[in-house]
Amino acid sequence: MQFSIEQRERYTEVSGKGRLNMVTAPLLREVVAQAVGDGRTRIVLNLGEIIFMDSSGLGALIGCLKVARQAGGDLRIACVQPQVKMVLELTSMHRVLAPHPTVEEAFGND
Amino acid sequence: MDNQTPRRALVLEDDEDIRGLLVQILTMEGFEVLEAGTAKQGMEAVRQGVDLITLDLNLPDGDGIDVCREIRLVSDAYVLMITARTEEIQRLTGLETGADDYLSKPFSPRELVARINSLFRRQKSQTDSDAASRDELDRASMVQKSLLPGQTLGLPGYEMAGRFQPSRAVGGDFYDWYAAPHGLHLTVADAMGKGMGAALIAATVRAVMRSASAEPNLDTAFAAASRALESDLEQSGSFVTAFHARLHADDGTLKYIDAGHGLALHIKANGNNVRLPSCGPPIGAWPGQSWATANVSLEPGDTLAVVSDGLLDIFDDVDEFSEAVATVIEDSASTRAACDAVASMTNGAAVSDDVTVVLISRNRREPLSA
Repeated sequence: MQFSIEQRERYTEVSGKGRLNMVTAPLLREVVAQAVGDGRTRIVLNLGEIIFMDSSGLGALIGCLKVARQAGGDLRIACVQPQVKMVLELTSMHRVLAPHPTVEEAFGND
Repeated sequence: MDNQTPRRALVLEDDEDIRGLLVQILTMEGFEVLEAGTAKQGMEAVRQGVDLITLDLNLPDGDGIDVCREIRLVSDAYVLMITARTEEIQRLTGLETGADDYLSKPFSPRELVARINSLFRRQKSQTDSDAASRDELDRASMVQKSLLPGQTLGLPGYEMAGRFQPSRAVGGDFYDWYAAPHGLHLTVADAMGKGMGAALIAATVRAVMRSASAEPNLDTAFAAASRALESDLEQSGSFVTAFHARLHADDGTLKYIDAGHGLALHIKANGNNVRLPSCGPPIGAWPGQSWATANVSLEPGDTLAVVSDGLLDIFDDVDEFSEAVATVIEDSASTRAACDAVASMTNGAAVSDDVTVVLISRNRREPLSA
């Protein structure tokens, strides 16, 4: 899987396509760590084309969130698909990582 | 490697003189040698099965790199690529050609033989170390199974059954139960990921949860255990979902904490089922969490089913999953049979995660004798 990064006016959008699992999760961690390392600490993960996420994928989301927060920024998720939403709700992680309906709304007026 | 069968080599080289030389050297080294002057003939020979291939980079009908990649699709033979120029080796080693070694022309017979012997020595030690790690994995799998509890605690009025099916030799799921003063303690947990890394975390979680069992209060026991685990999980960038419960056998009261597991079902004697919501995030997922204890009452004829998310993969959503699991359990003759039936719901489906199923049923009341 390839993750693409696009610099928006007020945040950095990271998006990928496919399954976020044990194989692809490290790639996401890497991409986000690099963006944060470059000083891009406000990140929106566009999950619109992530159709499946397992526990390793969830681990990557949590890891990326920690990296962004530690650098003084934040990571938010948008366009969450049903299976991913289910995993977030089962694990109660939606309380920490709340899904936003669109990428634009993720940071709202923050 | 079996020394009784002669090793087979293929010389794929369009220059007749060099080909003749290679064939001669390899024959003297005890190989049964096939030869080919074109990529097309070479691929036919590869399919007959060979142990070693010397491959010329420049063939009349194909680029050696493409040929090598094609060989890799059908053969594990050792490929020694032969090029006309030394400088080319530098470039080739940077590419994913699939070749095992490179040699430039002109080469001395002694150099060729040394290279080939070293390739086969490497192969031998590789095979030995593969066998060693398979052995180790088998042992790890046995140890992990031995950490599962015995099939029954002999708790009067209750039946219980558990199943653990790792997707690999070992897995990140585990279940555990043990007798406690008024009944039993139960843990079902799932460490992030799969395989050996997850299994090491799972064994740690089991030990820490057990060590907190003497603590009279579930809240404080769980808080202490999760605090102890948090730094280890932080270090390894992992987390664990856990369902941990204490059953008071006399009245069927089950106190539980669900840390991001979310897949415990209370199946009532009348056929209704309720999924027990999780009380907070997984252990180690997010710092500074606390989990509130919840209660459920197991009435006679009720069953508690705790399942890991591997089983969830075959359903579209969690409601469909709950309904299907409850139905399978109701249709089973015993708790053991129900547990096996739930675990085998994945049969034939492409499940890539560990699957764990634990059931505790409270027996129905005996009919009063007249």
